[in-house]
Amino acid sequence: MQEDELIAGLRGKDRKTTEYLYEKYSRALFGVISRIIYDHDIAEEVFHDAFLKIIHKIDFYDESKGRLYTWMSNICRNAAIDKLRSKEISQSTKTNTIDDFVYGLESNSGTMEKIEAIGVKELMVDLSDDQRFIIEYIYFKGYTHSEIAEEFDIPLGTVKSRVRAALQVLKKNLDSI
Amino acid sequence: MNIQDYIASGKLELFLLGELTEREREEVLALAKAHPEIQQELDALEDTMLSFDQASAVTPSAKVKDRIFASLEDEFAKDEIPAAPQASPAEAPTVKLSPWKSFAVAASLVAVLASAAAIYFAGKFYDSEEKFIALLQDQQVMAGNLNQVRLDFEESDSRLERLLSGDFKKVEMKGESLAMQKDARVDVLWDQEAQEVFVAVNTLNLLSSEFDYQLWAIGKDGPVGIGLVDPGEKFTLQQMQAVAEAGAFAITIEPKGGSQSPTLDKLVVLGEVS
Repeated sequence: MQEDELIAGLRGKDRKTTEYLYEKYSRALFGVISRIIYDHDIAEEVFHDAFLKIIHKIDFYDESKGRLYTWMSNICRNAAIDKLRSKEISQSTKTNTIDDFVYGLESNSGTMEKIEAIGVKELMVDLSDDQRFIIEYIYFKGYTHSEIAEEFDIPLGTVKSRVRAALQVLKKNLDSI
Repeated sequence: MNIQDYIASGKLELFLLGELTEREREEVLALAKAHPEIQQELDALEDTMLSFDQASAVTPSAKVKDRIFASLEDEFAKDEIPAAPQASPAEAPTVKLSPWKSFAVAASLVAVLASAAAIYFAGKFYDSEEKFIALLQDQQVMAGNLNQVRLDFEESDSRLERLLSGDFKKVEMKGESLAMQKDARVDVLWDQEAQEVFVAVNTLNLLSSEFDYQLWAIGKDGPVGIGLVDPGEKFTLQQMQAVAEAGAFAITIEPKGGSQSPTLDKLVVLGEVS
């Protein structure tokens, strides 16, 4: 299904299109949230609310302002960050690290998720310490780039270029899988 | 501006993470439009992020999916038409309509139906009005007839009353010399005291329009015309002029309107007062 058909279907409140969207993107969107929110139940609650928000706000999505996935993932990321900063989440979970995340996946669940966790590990493999740090804070701790710059006293330009460099490594790793 | 430097700045990544201000976003969008390389890089980065999100995630539980779709259940467009009991071979293609269109279609249908109903009832109304007017006219005619009948009845009634209360003498006048009217017969009823005279036609031929039957009272001073007799009004009482004295009554045929003296060769009936 082309993106414009998908958007038209969602705007027409078509059930099949909504199901297609869910099948195609639920995993990635839930990933955006569950990386930041360690607690599985809370993450699913945030995902539930964020997905409904996507469906309800689809009329406000402007194709000229970026592609659909970017818009959806931003909604999910912002929902996760909002939740993380609300009082419902204990401070301890804020000390999420990639290792905690991988360990959590490995210890909590079955074989399937172990393989997935190994996938994350492999993706991280060639990152320098600086790049790993950036990915950890942006993707797993829900920091914005300016918060990183402020909290760790790193110039904004440096944060930006490290984000870029880290993503280039991830891209290479993803392509090689 | 160097496009490669712009790409390398890391702004595109922040764009995708939703961390740019509105002004910076507009700038990225404008540049991406102007420079295909920037758009390509944006698309590639988005794919990377999507792949990374996919790779670093677990599938959300079926429970969440059920909850989401249960929440959305009432919002989905109802375009699934339940299977029709009889299969119609030439089925019209179903067109998906967004809710407002359905409402628009429904509203137009209602409007059309309402108009049709209005025209139908307007027609009915005019029909009814016509019938009503016709009935009114019939009613007026009948009222007129009734009035006439009532007047006729009153007249007959008063004559009957006169006849019964008075002292009437019946004088039978019979066909006389006129060969064609041998069987003619007319009765005269005469109250000598009240001087009232009625005639009751029994048998009398109709005349052409130039002639009239005239009744004569024959007394000492000769015949006196006392009125014209209508041969059409049979077995009713026709009132004539007053007569105080007569030995006989006779009817002759006279020119229209009657004559001063009778045309004796056209004497139809004659009856003597007994």
